Amino acid sequence: MTLSFILNGEDVSARVRSVDRLSDLLREHFGLLGLQSDCRGGRCGRCLIMLGGRLVPSCILPAFRIRGMEVVTIEGFSQTDEYQDIVAGFKSAGVETCGFCDSAKILATATLLERRTRPTNAEILEQLSVAPCRCTDPETLVHGVQAAAERRARRLYHRAR
Amino acid sequence: MLVSEIHYPQDILELLELMKTLPEALIYAGGTEILREQGGRGIVLPPEVICIHELSELRKASLSERYLDVGAAVTLAEVLELAGSALPSLFGDTVRGIGTPALRNLATLGGNLAARDRFMDTWPALSCLDALVEIKDSWGSTWINVNRLSDEAGRPAFPSGGVITRIRIPLERVDVSAVRKVGGRDYPGPETAVFALAARADKGILASFRLAFAGRTALRLQEIESHITGRSLPLSERERRSFGEEYRAAAADLPENLASQFAVLVDGALDLLAR
Amino acid sequence: MRRREKPDENRPITTGDLTVEGMIHAATVRSPVARGSVRSIEFPRLPTGYRGILPEDIPGANTMTCFGASIPVLAHDSLSYAGEPVALITGPDPVLLEELAAATKVLCEAEEALFSWESFSSEQVAAKRVAVLGDPDLAFSIAETVLEDDYTSKALEHYYSEPQGAAASYDYDKMAVWCATQWPYHVRDSVALVLGCKQEEVSVRPTRLGVHLDGKLWYPSLLACHAALASFVCGRPVKLMLTREEDFLYTPKRARSSVNVRTALGRGGDLAGLDLRIAINVGAYPLLAEEMLGQAVFAATCVYACPNLRVEAYAVLTNHPPMGPFGGLGASHSFFALETHLNRLASLKGEDPMDWKSRNVLHKGQTILTGEPLKDEVPYAAIAEKLAAMSDYRRKYACYELVRKRRGGRGEGPLRGIGFSFAYQGSGPFLSGEDSNAYTVEAVLDKDLHAWLRTSAAVGSDGVLGIWRRRAAKILGLPLEAISVVPPLTDNVPNSGPSTLSRNVTVVNRLVGRACEAIQKRRFRDPLPLTAKSVYRVPRPILWEEGRVRGSPFDTAAWAAAAVELELDPWTFEPRPIGVWMCLDGGEIVQSERAAAAVRIGAFDALGACMRERVDPTERLGHREEYFRYGLEPLDELPPISVAFLEPGRRAAVKGIGELPFNTIPAAFLSALSQAGGAPFTSLPVAAAEIIRATETP
Repeated sequence: MTLSFILNGEDVSARVRSVDRLSDLLREHFGLLGLQSDCRGGRCGRCLIMLGGRLVPSCILPAFRIRGMEVVTIEGFSQTDEYQDIVAGFKSAGVETCGFCDSAKILATATLLERRTRPTNAEILEQLSVAPCRCTDPETLVHGVQAAAERRARRLYHRAR
Repeated sequence: MLVSEIHYPQDILELLELMKTLPEALIYAGGTEILREQGGRGIVLPPEVICIHELSELRKASLSERYLDVGAAVTLAEVLELAGSALPSLFGDTVRGIGTPALRNLATLGGNLAARDRFMDTWPALSCLDALVEIKDSWGSTWINVNRLSDEAGRPAFPSGGVITRIRIPLERVDVSAVRKVGGRDYPGPETAVFALAARADKGILASFRLAFAGRTALRLQEIESHITGRSLPLSERERRSFGEEYRAAAADLPENLASQFAVLVDGALDLLAR
Repeated sequence: MRRREKPDENRPITTGDLTVEGMIHAATVRSPVARGSVRSIEFPRLPTGYRGILPEDIPGANTMTCFGASIPVLAHDSLSYAGEPVALITGPDPVLLEELAAATKVLCEAEEALFSWESFSSEQVAAKRVAVLGDPDLAFSIAETVLEDDYTSKALEHYYSEPQGAAASYDYDKMAVWCATQWPYHVRDSVALVLGCKQEEVSVRPTRLGVHLDGKLWYPSLLACHAALASFVCGRPVKLMLTREEDFLYTPKRARSSVNVRTALGRGGDLAGLDLRIAINVGAYPLLAEEMLGQAVFAATCVYACPNLRVEAYAVLTNHPPMGPFGGLGASHSFFALETHLNRLASLKGEDPMDWKSRNVLHKGQTILTGEPLKDEVPYAAIAEKLAAMSDYRRKYACYELVRKRRGGRGEGPLRGIGFSFAYQGSGPFLSGEDSNAYTVEAVLDKDLHAWLRTSAAVGSDGVLGIWRRRAAKILGLPLEAISVVPPLTDNVPNSGPSTLSRNVTVVNRLVGRACEAIQKRRFRDPLPLTAKSVYRVPRPILWEEGRVRGSPFDTAAWAAAAVELELDPWTFEPRPIGVWMCLDGGEIVQSERAAAAVRIGAFDALGACMRERVDPTERLGHREEYFRYGLEPLDELPPISVAFLEPGRRAAVKGIGELPFNTIPAAFLSALSQAGGAPFTSLPVAAAEIIRATETP
């Protein structure tokens, strides 16, 4: 079947089969390698995308399920100021990752900061549990998200002024 | 390679028509339960699949003084956001304990109740709250108590040929509630179950007492509850021990770990009423 | 949201992301039986563009050697575990390939599989280590107190950053191989053996490794052999990528162990006799069996003074998939057993374990199992004191111990406990075979005063690269930006052996230093460019003779203690850790913040291993339920983890510390759980029913 949807702000279409996972479609057909098709059970978070503005695991989404919907991957999100806030915040706090879970952590942080300007430690840890990884030091990660929140808040404040 | 035919009904009538002509079709909303245990590269689905997430009738929610009505295709995250503080804490705590925030953006309340091989997390809380589900099929629609989704042996018993369209959660006062998940926080397995308790007291009398425990099988023992309801509070030590033993006996068929945990959870619940 | 720059792409590619023009995929056909032999393999009807590959298609040797074991590349005459690779299928669509592989009929002559390992037959013994010191039989016969128990450690899943995979393709006259591996040169040599070509005709191009926990030490070589074989047969680039599920079920796991500990206390309450029987289930192949046993034996005997020791250690073969290292080799098995046991022993004698251990810990000059004196002082007092202050351990222990003794049953207040353990991480030439210890590093200073470090050592994160670069910069007096590490393609770098046992920060780091020092000595008299090579001198190997062992168990050791406090959930009685503290003597700590973060991450992994993580190694094909239930500990369920380092001595070396959380936390956790539950638990995880039963009876 032909699937049409909005990908990173553009109208796109692709031939898909019912067996195809959205994560594999995005990677293999559209070349979006910022996400991975890892656990295929919605648990590891490496496939996280934003679907209709919501953070979801794309590996447990059949491609057919998203017809007409809006998908934003890390590649799309990386074009934004919010992305820069998070990357800079993580860097300033010394957040080091293995390189496989970065996108997941960034998108998870982004959706958290959309809801909560200054999230608590507990909220940060709950949200970042969407992307469990053995590379992560929770304490440093919390500082990274707080630093990102701070940068974002300052940027929005200056823009408002 | 089996390639499935995907159908996208635009309204309930079309959905019911499809279900009648394709009785073996898989109803697909969030799909988290369907794909939960498929780790291979390709997704394996039946030959016919009916996608219902586009049905606006299933995506509505409304709040009144007495009820919260939630469409079956409303996601768990949306349920938490829509109802806010109106949501009974027993139910809210249950939903917040399911999966991760990302999974809750996909998983639907209807899907959580419609699982065929086990009871998922929301069933015990909804059972204790005496929630109702609207089931529609080609003959019409009917509201049934969520307890009817379990047969006498405690196994899942979803009405064949029907689809859940709405869930109605009563917003009665609950004075004491508790929910606990045992055997693993997110992934359901043979030793995973959820315990829920809801009780209300009026003038020192236990006006209602509901306790449910469900995993692969469900335990909701209304006969024992009827013994407890109407007692004066606090419960005496003798009453606490006697009811505890009744529950233990009823749970004898559970696997050992679950039976032990059920017993201590019941003790904990009865302890609350003994203070 | 406004548009800006693209995301940072300056990182090595992952195996999963790698594509080569014309690339096809491969899938593995697996043995349905745990033991037996293949009678026939019948592929289903394969569409055009798909083909099957059998053992007879291998041009070279159908074997891979590693760490004392020979493993078939595609098993045929002897099947050793369910899921063992027996054939390959190649083609363009990985989804279809998966179906074709599952539909392939593998007919076998099945034999009775051996899964039992805690008690085992002699045919199952892959390696054995026995050592005796003094007269343990006499010590036990006159002992004041004898305590004996069995402690079991479970298998664990590495859950590394990326599932395993490999790709291969002819690149002019060489077979280029890509995979994430801790040992690029082993990949090269294995592929050369399978293809029947010279080693120089294989070029290994390591992909991004990420977190590995020693799960990518040798298995990537097997997948590389498969990919290279498929590429050779098909004449096209081939990628073989395991799904996470496949990886979980069929690749090596952490070995399981059972340790029987028997201790004799003399009249003064000190350790007079120690008798240990260690059984480590290594699965189908005895890789690293001797090394694991050696580490297990030393861990059990090189911490506390005991004049009468007997240790028997066995590596047991079973028909489970191969099992082995997990953030270290065998030491953690022994530390778990011994530390838990000694905590219990102290408690039975009414003494704080911290004090009991203080009296019994080894001191510099005292004789260890090898008959040699301990070279360095064990920093027990400093570490324990600091840990006690950080965690308020002593007060909490006394308090919870009082509650435990006086408790009349459940429902008498919160059930809490705190446990303490002490261990080391040694670094030294544990690995058998010259190849395993062949570490070489090369440094080059070019005419632009830019220095290049050449090593095949694989790194999982940029932190280690930073350590090397900073060391080189300091020695050469250059800015950090003038130091680069050459990408570790085997064409371009010397063999620096397997990256395990913290060697990147110890051995390789030292070699970087020596190579740079050699350049610095010549720099102002010889013209640039200058090249210097530094080779690791393998010290005297450890010798095991009948009942005796000779040699030095480690070059250096980092020491640590951990305290874990937990409480039982008042409703479910599941353990909830409420605090973890660690104090380490890690020698020279190059960047303390980073090191502390690394220790916290290790502690997080160790806690997960105590609680939700567990896996029963595959005994039959398609046993998938375990995979779906496996998960890492959620971040919001972790307790605060505090880490402190002792001030290093003046000439302190950089030491490996990555294994220390795993060597200490499980025993501390189990001891805390035993105190909270009021019963001596001996393995993790403890079933809920067992905890509930223990708390019922006072």
